[in-house]
Amino acid sequence: MKAGSALSRVLVICGKDAAQEARRRIALASVLFFAATALTLVSFAVGPSGFAREERGQLHAALLWILLFFSTATGLPRAFVREEETGTALALRKVAPGILVLAGKTLFNFFLFLAIAAVTVPGLGILLGWDVSSPGAMAAVLFAAGYGLTVVSTFLSALVARAGQKNVLFVLVCFPLLVPLLLSSIAATVAAAAGQLAGPPLRVILAYDGAATCAAYLLAAAAWEE
Amino acid sequence: MLATTLEARELSKSFSGPPLFSNLSFSAGAGLVAVSGRNGSGKTTLLKILARLLRPGSGNVRVLEGSRELDGEERRRAVGWAGPDLAFYEDFTAQENLMFFRRAAGLPAGEQQIRERLAGVGLGAAREKRVGAYSTGMKQRLRLAFALLCDPLVLLLDEPTAGLDEPGRELLAAAVAQRRRAGPVLLASNDPRDFVAPEQVIELGR
Repeated sequence: MKAGSALSRVLVICGKDAAQEARRRIALASVLFFAATALTLVSFAVGPSGFAREERGQLHAALLWILLFFSTATGLPRAFVREEETGTALALRKVAPGILVLAGKTLFNFFLFLAIAAVTVPGLGILLGWDVSSPGAMAAVLFAAGYGLTVVSTFLSALVARAGQKNVLFVLVCFPLLVPLLLSSIAATVAAAAGQLAGPPLRVILAYDGAATCAAYLLAAAAWEE
Repeated sequence: MLATTLEARELSKSFSGPPLFSNLSFSAGAGLVAVSGRNGSGKTTLLKILARLLRPGSGNVRVLEGSRELDGEERRRAVGWAGPDLAFYEDFTAQENLMFFRRAAGLPAGEQQIRERLAGVGLGAAREKRVGAYSTGMKQRLRLAFALLCDPLVLLLDEPTAGLDEPGRELLAAAVAQRRRAGPVLLASNDPRDFVAPEQVIELGR
């Protein structure tokens, strides 16, 4: 009997999360609702002409990443918490090693992040009058930074899933770990909006992605398995 | 076919208190091993350690096929486990649950194959029903199907008769009788009726 490849097992786990989400729509609904609410409030508070044009780039980039961070912090911890709360974690642990479960859930969360970004970025553009001169550079920043964001937050979700006060703990642990990524993402977003692909911040993001991937790979078993 | 042996050496485990068991060693070949003991004596914990769902405080567990020790994925699939806290995705049907778990284990899972496995535990007619709508007894049957899902060499069953009706108990007894001929079956229970002529008895909490 030939065992399936690691990639196919990762896709199976990601597909299971997607099928669950398609049936219940809890994570997607709460995350998109949070993003839409925050976006509306920000647009009313700041508006398209609330600041001088040269100041708007920084402001819009910071708002975008605040929105993305808190939107993901609302939905991503569900990845492992739900498995623990419903008792399905034991069955999952029995059939698949921690690294494959983590990879499958990270992949699903990455798609969730892209869905949030697909709503948030055009939303900010329309409501705040934000022109992004280089959509390609913006997409590269979103992909690279979104990857780091989802790897770290999914891994932390596995870590806190069995703790008390898990939602508070998740945000408290997430924040210091994600600050370097978020600061670089803001700098790279400002550059992308101005039509440039900023080298130094993007390099920091890619290095962060690499370090986060290695850490998650090495610690997945300890985080997920009892 | 090579003989399968489950070996436990000097296992100890405690949860912030006195040890549930310490320096527990045994070796089990084909046959039934009865794991008995009062409530809280560590039966569930022992079976979870053997299934690698819990780490022991000290000691180790080996699964041998002939003289070769199984490890990694081979070891994971070689040990089937079911216990009272094993739960399934309630939004999914029984068929979807088993297909998912078998594929996540890296094994092929055709619809026909899963259908037959569910029919084998008496859930053929309810295979398209959401697990959330299952009764306690039906979930217990599904747990048995899960334990057998990867065609394990070693079978670990924790309180497998809880919530089962008489036909369910007969079905379980038939499955145990068949499996114990091929490899070790460890069955933990408080009900002595569950142990039919065991080859070995492990009594915890004495």
